[in-house]
Amino acid sequence: MATITIMAITILTTNLIVTDAGGVMGFGFLKDPVWSRRTFVDAFGRGFLGFLAFALLMGVLTFFIKGPQVVHETLVGDVVLLGEMLPRVAVALSIAALVWVMLPRDRITKLVGVDSGFRGLVIATLAGTVTLGGPSSAYALLAMLAASGADRGALVAYITAWATLGLQRILVWDVPFLGPEFAILRFAVSIGLPIVAGLIARRLTFVPMVCDTQKDGAE
Amino acid sequence: MNIGFWVLVVVLILLGLVALKRREDPGPVVKRLLEQAAKLVPRMFCALVAAGFVAELLPKEEIARFLGAEAGLFALPAAAAIGLLVPAGPVIAFAIAAVFAKAGASTPALVTFITAWSIFAAHRMLIFELPLLGPSFMRMRLLSVVIVPFLAGLLAIVIGLVTSFGTAIPYI
Repeated sequence: MATITIMAITILTTNLIVTDAGGVMGFGFLKDPVWSRRTFVDAFGRGFLGFLAFALLMGVLTFFIKGPQVVHETLVGDVVLLGEMLPRVAVALSIAALVWVMLPRDRITKLVGVDSGFRGLVIATLAGTVTLGGPSSAYALLAMLAASGADRGALVAYITAWATLGLQRILVWDVPFLGPEFAILRFAVSIGLPIVAGLIARRLTFVPMVCDTQKDGAE
Repeated sequence: MNIGFWVLVVVLILLGLVALKRREDPGPVVKRLLEQAAKLVPRMFCALVAAGFVAELLPKEEIARFLGAEAGLFALPAAAAIGLLVPAGPVIAFAIAAVFAKAGASTPALVTFITAWSIFAAHRMLIFELPLLGPSFMRMRLLSVVIVPFLAGLLAIVIGLVTSFGTAIPYI
């Protein structure tokens, strides 16, 4: 039920924006065969087929080692999980897409860009700590930051902070599963680590290419 | 659905209203949304199914034996390696951590396990990092953070020398 509500809200919000702005302003890309082809390959290309093969292999292994009953239960659990994740992904990607279009990117570059120094790492760490939501929202924002010219130290600090210090995960998972004392200890030992990781990332000698900047540069 | 998710929904609605007010062109927004969704959703479906099976196949109780206090420093690399092997979201990862804790895993080993899982979780790298940021970013990040779980574990060992604060109380 909740899932349906979210879907409805997401679609409604998107539609609202679409219709209000007067229909077809920037939708030329939908008729562009090159774009459709590229998007289709992104969706169902080799990466996807590899995943599919791996899932099938694991399913067959489980079938022979644990029996059909476990395969059935796992699949039912997966469907439930997928039903919970899809609305999250839809909302997270919608936010990331809106922010992507509206945010003044030069300002981000100043905050966490190549010249942001130690301060940039601290800002990135704080941002990662308070980022709400699961990997769908964190990675969508990370991709946006990367394409906006954030430096790699800040990118690594951001995603490491989200992973190790993320307040939402600590409150929702660490505390109930392993107790508040353990949660505090884990948070305490992890506080400086995203900055360490960011400093290491800045020291590495090769320059990574990020998907987004490449593609957007080519357009 | 937790509170965090509803906060995201509210953020989305607010952002949508701002976009409306600024008469933002919806074309690029929808384009970006479709491109990213195409990269994520089909893979997510397969990876979720695969992860569910892998979590079933992991011999949890047997692994917990490697993480006890008697394993000493060896528990850290073992815990980090296991964290890497758990290709599943927090539901399964923390349930496994609770099983480890109950089977006698040491606190530094648990810290290392959770940290390793949270920064290396294979499914997350495959579903999100690879399609959205690309392989060279992923290599660069892995090189930068490979030391992090060990640092967390070592700090936990140091704290453990001073106080027993932080011992896990598994829910099961």
